[in-house]
Amino acid sequence: MGALTYLSAALVLGLVGSAAAFSISQIGAKSVESMARQPESAANIRVSMIIAIAFVESIALYALVVSFMLLAK
Amino acid sequence: MEKSGEAAVKLLFPLSVFGVDISITSAVVVVWVTCFFIFALSFLASRKMTPVPGKLQNIIEMIYEFFEQQTSDLLGEYAVRWLPFIFSIFCFVLVSNLLGMVPGVYPTTSNINVTASLAVFVFVVYQMAGIAEHGFIAYFRSYVPKGVPIFIAPVLFVIEFVGHLARPFSLAIRLFANVTAGHLVAVTILSLIFIFKSPWLAPFPLLGKVAISIFEIFIAFIQAYLFAYLSALYIGLAVNEE
Repeated sequence: MGALTYLSAALVLGLVGSAAAFSISQIGAKSVESMARQPESAANIRVSMIIAIAFVESIALYALVVSFMLLAK
Repeated sequence: MEKSGEAAVKLLFPLSVFGVDISITSAVVVVWVTCFFIFALSFLASRKMTPVPGKLQNIIEMIYEFFEQQTSDLLGEYAVRWLPFIFSIFCFVLVSNLLGMVPGVYPTTSNINVTASLAVFVFVVYQMAGIAEHGFIAYFRSYVPKGVPIFIAPVLFVIEFVGHLARPFSLAIRLFANVTAGHLVAVTILSLIFIFKSPWLAPFPLLGKVAISIFEIFIAFIQAYLFAYLSALYIGLAVNEE
């Protein structure tokens, strides 16, 4: 296993991780903003926020799987 | 990948039918225990149903009513028909995830075979539901939106078809990767004890493991809910398409 494999495994996770972190920050910021604007619908917004975060997180985990597959070669 | 959990798969009883390997492994036993657990729980909860529910009946009814409301949002008039299927998927994934949190028990949902079978099952079921509802030709015609120019329609059909094929993949890999990653993180944090090599620092990785476990239980609920929700969404899209 060459150095490039390690590098690519790290790069996959690093790039996707930063993208996912940005998306989660957007989701969190927007939902807190909407909760502050409409406190009566805070419960609904919280549920959809958690679902959206789970979607983003699963994309980050695809990258984790790919990097593990690269390392397990 | 197989060693990522606390317990690895052990071969208990080799078995093969027509060249297909269906050996009984410890993972299969865990799946059976999961099914038995769900059966026992629902049997105990519904054996003596009372108008004023007891503790167990109350909990099960609460989860059931939550799903009843969710599916009626997604499926409309078809909710009554599909609710048992969706609720069973939710129960199976949830109990599998939670049983996987018990030390020494193989987490079945961290095995791609289990999640892929569930996802392919959901895929077949929702395609069949769509075909049964609208007929073969009309269902596949509904892949292409109405009023599309005739020369773009084949391209759109192929794109939509690939999108449909991607659904079971995303369902399977989402659940598999979430559970696997959770267990891997737990193992990594625990292995810090052996890296530190100091009894004074050992409690800190243990505290981290406790925190990760609490988060994992939360993830177990979220992923089970997501799997069931997405199944309901796919079935709803298939049967409600005009």
